[in-house]
Amino acid sequence: MVQHRYANLGLYAILFLLLAVVVPLWFPPYQVNLVTEVVIFALYAVSYNLLLGYSGLLSFGHAMFFGTGAYTTAVVLGKIPGIPLFGAIGISLVFTTLVGFVVGSLLLRHKGSYFALLTLAFNALFYVIATKWHTITGGDDGLSVFRPELNLGLVRLDMADITTFYFFTLVCVGALILFCWYFTRTAMGKTVLLMRENEERMKFLGYNTNITRLILFTFTGALAGLAGSFYALFFEYTSITAISIDMTTTVLLMTFVGGTGSFGGPILGALVFTYLQDFLSDITDRWPLIMGAIFIVMVLYVPAGLSGIITAIKERVIRGGKHGHRMPSEGRGL
Amino acid sequence: MADIPVFFLHGLAYASLLFLLSSGLTLVFGMMNVLNFAHAAFYMLGAYFSYTVLTVTGNFWLSILVCPLLLMAIGAAVERFFLRRVHSHGHLHELLLTFGLAYIITELVKLVWGNYPLSVQIGGFLADAVHLLGIEYPVYRLFIIVCAIVVGLVMCLVIYRTRVGIIVRAAVNDNQMVSALGINVQFVFMSVFAVGAALSGFAGVIAGPLLTTYPGMAAEILVDAFVVIVVGGFGSLGGAVLASLIIGELQSFGVLLMPKLSLALIYMLMAAVLIIKPSGLFGEEQ
Repeated sequence: MVQHRYANLGLYAILFLLLAVVVPLWFPPYQVNLVTEVVIFALYAVSYNLLLGYSGLLSFGHAMFFGTGAYTTAVVLGKIPGIPLFGAIGISLVFTTLVGFVVGSLLLRHKGSYFALLTLAFNALFYVIATKWHTITGGDDGLSVFRPELNLGLVRLDMADITTFYFFTLVCVGALILFCWYFTRTAMGKTVLLMRENEERMKFLGYNTNITRLILFTFTGALAGLAGSFYALFFEYTSITAISIDMTTTVLLMTFVGGTGSFGGPILGALVFTYLQDFLSDITDRWPLIMGAIFIVMVLYVPAGLSGIITAIKERVIRGGKHGHRMPSEGRGL
Repeated sequence: MADIPVFFLHGLAYASLLFLLSSGLTLVFGMMNVLNFAHAAFYMLGAYFSYTVLTVTGNFWLSILVCPLLLMAIGAAVERFFLRRVHSHGHLHELLLTFGLAYIITELVKLVWGNYPLSVQIGGFLADAVHLLGIEYPVYRLFIIVCAIVVGLVMCLVIYRTRVGIIVRAAVNDNQMVSALGINVQFVFMSVFAVGAALSGFAGVIAGPLLTTYPGMAAEILVDAFVVIVVGGFGSLGGAVLASLIIGELQSFGVLLMPKLSLALIYMLMAAVLIIKPSGLFGEEQ
């Protein structure tokens, strides 16, 4: 069974890579832009699902890390002339990790509804800081970002070109997403999953659940921050949208629509959401209303999300719906 | 420093509004264990309904009567057709649902009333000012303070002194037992949720003439109401009173004394409470 699954995964990976490489060759720049956006949001959604799907922590404040990453990258690139691309991303990563650790140690004193409420309130604090601290963040005007060229020693890559930037993003973000997948297979990743199922028992077995949760929270915050860095580089601009509650709503919709029960769900969600948004915003200004309606319908009737539907169909078609293999996190949907 | 009484009363008026809003939130949470993210959206609907009633009839007293009733109906419908369906899925789904509803209500408000601020005018003696403690003070703000006191007292009386209150409190403790005693627990929960929505609608009507009516008003006050709940303690009515007072006055005097830091002050307070007493001032230890 395990072998079969890995074979499948390899197939998907090859298909995905082929598709990803083909995109800039055959599609117009507009599509390359959209796909880059999908890749960045996929990382953001995957990091969010490590909280929501894997550990059952519902956060309404993921945008504070996304925004912190975006702003730090923008500020570092603006204030330190000549800093290499990876230097800026690195500084941003360190800073977001610190922020995640401090915020996490405050917020994780509570669970469930209380935790959800606190994340929303702290996101509001970050939003206030971003709007009021004019000298650093530019307030309502935001900050413009330029992409420095990437110096790899032998070759210099000009990041101003969207195709180059797309490949750069694909490699970096793809590696990060793979790392997330690897994380879910490690002892730590499994601990998180088991904590969600039965925390009392894990405590009894000698696991320090509080520290595990804090590490996970910091880790997902850092990942969201990295997604934010790439977001700022991609749009060459950072505004208060990046740190607002709307950005949390976005990731929540992506993750939930894609499905919280599997690792790939949020990636699918990011893809569907980005293209749906692109399609709907052409037709009507009221696209958020349609998005919201889709979300409510999914919460009410399809709590397992799109990936849940796909799994159900696959099980029915291939295995006759009897002894289907399920991902460890799939049992309860959330 | 002649401004001090004025700022004190301003703080008191805002505290009253916060109490009206957070009392409904804490009531629903205490009774049903549901944190309603759509609560502030109901409040916003109250303000917008009131705007419409005022433009059509011009009668503020009519809107203060009708709008909470409308919100009560909406609240009952939301509980009956949405919340009850996901109740068995657990808290996460209830939170997600109310969050989604808040999002949709905000978008609907933009669609119906437009994405710009509206000004709500009231006439009659409420628009006047009175002499008080040697200063001129608007009657309307005093009216808000009186409203909050009356609502708070009525809530206490109903919950702790009447048969209905006993049933509601019992249903929270052990709803299967209460159900076995022949009481329709589903109906009790629906009523509590509807009353919570009516309270937020009432707060919205009251807020209309005081603050700006615009699509961002829900998100803005929701955070303040959350801070009230964190500081006061989850599900505690007494905590909501005290925390509303502290935060109302902190906001008011913060603007006077430290204008640059005023917005951050309430977050600092919240962080301090989280570090020192995570369950809030009146909250029970977990």
